[in-house]
Amino acid sequence: MKLLEIKNISKSFSNKKVLDVINLEIESGEISSIFGYSGEGKSTVLKIICGILKQDGGDVILNGKNINNLESCERRTPLVMDEPLLFPNMNVIENIEFGLKLNLSKRNSDNYNGKNKKLFYSPKEIMELLGITGLEKRYPGEISMGQAQRVSLARALIVNPEIILMDEPFSNLDIISKTKVRKLIKDINRELKISILLVTHDIEDVVNLSDKMFILNDGKIQDSGHPKEVLKKPSSIDTAFLLGTENILNGIISETDRRNNTIKIKVKDRNGDKEAGVIIEADFQGNFEAGEQVFLAVRPEEIIILREDRDVSKPVRENRFSGKIISSIFTSRMMEISIKSEENLELKVLIPFHAYEVMNLFEGKTVNVSLKKSSIHLIKKKKTVKNPVFT
Amino acid sequence: MHLNKNIIFDILVYIISFLFFATLIILLSGIFFQTSVHLFAKELKDAGLWNSIFLSFKLSFIVISINLIIGIPIAYVLSFKESKISFLLDIISTFPLTTSPLVIGFAVLITMGSLNPVGKFLIDNGIKFVFTPQGIVLVQLIISFPFFVNIVKTSFDSINRKMLDLSKTLGASSFDVLFRIIIPVSYNGIIAGLAMSWSRSIGEYAATQMVSGVIPKITETAPIEVFVKTSYGNYPAAVTIAGILMLISLFFLGIFKYFSYKIKTKII
Repeated sequence: MKLLEIKNISKSFSNKKVLDVINLEIESGEISSIFGYSGEGKSTVLKIICGILKQDGGDVILNGKNINNLESCERRTPLVMDEPLLFPNMNVIENIEFGLKLNLSKRNSDNYNGKNKKLFYSPKEIMELLGITGLEKRYPGEISMGQAQRVSLARALIVNPEIILMDEPFSNLDIISKTKVRKLIKDINRELKISILLVTHDIEDVVNLSDKMFILNDGKIQDSGHPKEVLKKPSSIDTAFLLGTENILNGIISETDRRNNTIKIKVKDRNGDKEAGVIIEADFQGNFEAGEQVFLAVRPEEIIILREDRDVSKPVRENRFSGKIISSIFTSRMMEISIKSEENLELKVLIPFHAYEVMNLFEGKTVNVSLKKSSIHLIKKKKTVKNPVFT
Repeated sequence: MHLNKNIIFDILVYIISFLFFATLIILLSGIFFQTSVHLFAKELKDAGLWNSIFLSFKLSFIVISINLIIGIPIAYVLSFKESKISFLLDIISTFPLTTSPLVIGFAVLITMGSLNPVGKFLIDNGIKFVFTPQGIVLVQLIISFPFFVNIVKTSFDSINRKMLDLSKTLGASSFDVLFRIIIPVSYNGIIAGLAMSWSRSIGEYAATQMVSGVIPKITETAPIEVFVKTSYGNYPAAVTIAGILMLISLFFLGIFKYFSYKIKTKII
């Protein structure tokens, strides 16, 4: 069931168009994310939904009802922001009960809880769920950032909303609190059946939490769908960049073969001028013709480095290259390796640290890599590229 | 080498500050050396003195009560309702600070006089501002409200706007936001503003004298009494009132400073 609909919303700030006819649909009971670069107007969307900002045009529809003309305080769309923003003059329990006291009168008259949903959780129940029992009498300055963010969540939950809007709720949390709060958000969604609209610039948050993602870029929704699908198959080169798909090659389709589920692409060199002399095979994807210019996107974690000591299985025989490791960087969880092939193609590969050690990899070593047919995603070359491909 | 320069710097700033404070204390405390404990105690028994001090207290209390009622909405508009005329409003509400109180008193005297249409209309309807206590309240209000409004505005300015926006999404109306968050959070600023505008009002002389007409017991406030006693040559009485006024100012300044230090250390 559709819970929230954003129809043709546009917004400009002093002649700069931030949102250019945005459409979103959010299903009841889901966690949805709006993902994009900083400063692309993601927060503006949330502010328009909860009524802090007025849109220039378009409609916000909640539960089939147009709420354009409702004041912020009448919409019941609580916001949780990057900072906890607890009221400094109130202790934890007073902060949590803030919305409850305000809504007490409305609660009796309204019939918005006609569904068999449990009516209003008590502050005690919510505090228990969020693991902040015992902090009731403390003041905001006396609790940690992670605890404060949970109080902020509790404060939003107490008004018994159908949807909670979250604007980068993890950006100020350390990694441990972040994991905890992420789990809590999932619990809230599952146990209390509250929908969540999350705004974030961290793809980890999106993949971890959401059932649906929207990519906001250049004031437009460029892509939407299940995060895994969008991540694997970005519809445009801009989206691919935004999602951190670092391996983007230029190519020209030489052959399409629906029956054998294959498309063959002649790959060009790094500048996209000359052919590199490599043909890559990908799974068949519709709407492409021979002779068409395309981008090939491969996620770095999908590239396989072949072990020298073992026979290769079938998928890893596809699209094999030999190349030299030109750099390897240890990131917090993975090794990020750059490989330059004999044909002068550069590929970025992510592998677990132990694999790096077991395979005895090092800078300067020549290795064989394989690009699985299924991991290659083709993008049509029609849109103007916002970021230059190879710089 | 650096250390030496720093020591010289410290010595210099301390000497300059100390010299200034010493001069100020000598100048102001001078009046206490012109009297004796005996004379001071004798003057304290004078009913006229207490009348004028009581009148000053009463009027300044009315002034700050009005300040509280009109000053908070004005500070709210200045701080939260930013618009193209904010700048103009800010100038208007600070203007009395930069104008001579005598000029303000004179302007009120003229406007509220029977020759001016506004004054005539009010007088015809039985409302008199010239030579009455309400006239004193009016001029003291004009002179003291900029202090209150500016301090409260500064306090409002320091409140996190995102927090207020967020409270609205939790169901708070503008009234709820003002009474449940803005005012409680700005409590220290409001107290400091009241203390400042009170001490300004209780010590006001020039504008007050313009509209007061110096009627004993009715419009003769403590600062006017100091002037009247001095002009009669009754120095012991003038010194006593002046001394009490000074102690009152010192007391409220103490309160003001205490709360303004608290604001500084408690910026949210």
